[in-house]
Amino acid sequence: MTVPTAVLQSGLLPEGLNVSFKLAPAIIVLGMLLLFLAIGFVFRVADTENMWVAGRSIGNVENGMAIGANWMSAASYLGMAALIALSGFYGLAFVVGWTTGYFILLIFMAAQLRRFGKYTAPDFVGDRFNSDGARAIAAITTFLIGFVYAIGQARGMGLVGLYIFGDIGLPGLSGYQSMVVFMMAITVGYLTISGMLGATKNMAVQYVILIVAFLIGLFLTGLSQGYSTVLPQLEYGMLISELGSEFSEPFVNQPYYIWIATCFSLVVGTCGLPHVLVRFYTVESERTARWSTVWGLFFICLLYWSAPAFAAFGTDLYGEQVGAVYAAEGGMTSAAGDVIVVLAAQLANLPQWLVGLVAAGGIAAAIATTAGLFIAGSSAISHDIYTNIINPEATQRQQVLVGRLSIIALGVITTLAALDPAAPIAALVSYAFSLAGAVLFPMFFLGMWWENTNRPGALAGMMTGLTIWTIPMINEVLPNYLGGVEGPFSAALATWVPAIGSALIAVPIVFAVTIVVSLVTEEPDVETKRIVRQCHSPEPMGQHRTAEDVVATDGGDAPADD
Amino acid sequence: MYEKILIPTDGSDTAEMAVEHALDLAETYGAELHTLYVVDTDSMSLSLGPEQLDRIEQGNWGEMDEVRERAEGATRVVADRGRDRGIEIVEHVASGRPHSVIEEYAEDHDVDLVVMGSHGRSGIRRALLGSVTERTLRSTDIPVLVVDAR
Repeated sequence: MTVPTAVLQSGLLPEGLNVSFKLAPAIIVLGMLLLFLAIGFVFRVADTENMWVAGRSIGNVENGMAIGANWMSAASYLGMAALIALSGFYGLAFVVGWTTGYFILLIFMAAQLRRFGKYTAPDFVGDRFNSDGARAIAAITTFLIGFVYAIGQARGMGLVGLYIFGDIGLPGLSGYQSMVVFMMAITVGYLTISGMLGATKNMAVQYVILIVAFLIGLFLTGLSQGYSTVLPQLEYGMLISELGSEFSEPFVNQPYYIWIATCFSLVVGTCGLPHVLVRFYTVESERTARWSTVWGLFFICLLYWSAPAFAAFGTDLYGEQVGAVYAAEGGMTSAAGDVIVVLAAQLANLPQWLVGLVAAGGIAAAIATTAGLFIAGSSAISHDIYTNIINPEATQRQQVLVGRLSIIALGVITTLAALDPAAPIAALVSYAFSLAGAVLFPMFFLGMWWENTNRPGALAGMMTGLTIWTIPMINEVLPNYLGGVEGPFSAALATWVPAIGSALIAVPIVFAVTIVVSLVTEEPDVETKRIVRQCHSPEPMGQHRTAEDVVATDGGDAPADD
Repeated sequence: MYEKILIPTDGSDTAEMAVEHALDLAETYGAELHTLYVVDTDSMSLSLGPEQLDRIEQGNWGEMDEVRERAEGATRVVADRGRDRGIEIVEHVASGRPHSVIEEYAEDHDVDLVVMGSHGRSGIRRALLGSVTERTLRSTDIPVLVVDAR
């Protein structure tokens, strides 16, 4: 048994953070969660006697906020500032990669996905390539993404939870580990209650609360310490020369290659993440799909524009009050880095409830995203694998049961893996991005834009992607969970195919494999080709229509091959 | 005695066990037979994600082919058998929590009798999978005929 030894080792403790139970912040966290539940309940899907009547439609701005809330996890809220604080310029790969991803999504995928009109990522892959095998691989990938992504969230919740609830000291576990178990229990509980509630309205509210908590924290930290006045996002620039070479001399401490690899992985990962893509399936028209991406990008930018400033303030305060920041002089641990946002507010002597608000925002972001990921993962198991492949006769109640069991399974394995996490939040999350980028992104991109992509091509491509993703994971991440092994197994492999950016190597290879295999095997049937053409045909399509409807109703004349 | 009989169905074999009983009663009493399929929103949210609940809320059922096929397939089975025997049939598809939708439907349409199948599960399986029939029995005061599958 290797897990228990690993468990005993981990006592992540952010130095400088005030670890004790605090009433006001605890009330804020619970109040936020209750508010989310209440809003979900008020806007829940009512019993409808007649389903064919049209209800409300989701507008651009609202859907944009939902995209923002879905997106803003502990990785954006805590991890991004953490990486910038710890590695300076390297951390900007996250800001750049995550925003660029949305442009690719906007240009190449949002409207086209809406046209295809399926429910989930595995649904798309299964139907486009007409293969249960492809569907199963996509479903397993979705489940894996949920798992890997959630480890980072659990780490964030555990660390920030320490500030709010202190060391609750579950027997046999360190303070951090107890908090991970406690927070994951709350998350799964929240999910059980919120699962049946409508999502979009609630996410819009979540977004507003999170961004307000983050921005207020930033403004007041900057103002009270005299760093900035009205625009900390720009004013922090004056600090840069004092912060150390990590900020002022890019690529001194981290080579170009890892920056590019990370950034690329994050770009393609964004376009392949199931819980991001899902927001495009349900909107009323392709126009709404496009505009909500634009709004989503704007709402995300509000946070991303501010994170570097928060990191800079935090780093400076840490250097003054706690100790040396960078590794050369002892340095800040990754645990302290991961809570730099909360730490900055605390070190700036803001009132406790205000620091609590910033911390609560981080926890709420983590819980909301984990909930979304777990639902995507459980739907992959219950809808795509169980109902579509194992038991096509499954009743609705059996699906519910399988769905709930998979959520619990996800909760348990995530908690175990997060007890002794291998890396900081942002890096953990990037592993999931590499996976999404290596396996799902090429399938969406080629499937949507190249009509000759066929079933053997897709199967070969996805298997290649999974393999290339797994190798660096075993090389770099697995040793962390094995007692007595110092990772990585191969230093050269870790340099050229880093787990954090393996999509840079994987994506071109997967594209090549998929294209070559598709070319040497039989072309897909004419109907599939016509659906693909319809997905990006210049002709506008009516609302509530899918490419399949158009192809089914317009008889034999295919749209011009573009 | 019975003018309107309601048979909720989820398309499962168990539910169809009850169909014969309902048809016979409807024929005997010359009653109108309502067949109702309830799309369980809880299962939608867990198996397809809350985004699908939004889609329901927007009334975009038309594009959810799979769900629609399932629902209409289930009521069609009952309707076809009923029409063969000259019984007047009303088909309906609704969404929500099954037992409360069944109860509401029965009350809104002055149904005199509800006929339902039951899996006859017990112990852990009953606790896990629950029983729509059991909940309906508890929540409505309209007579319910339960046909046990065993």
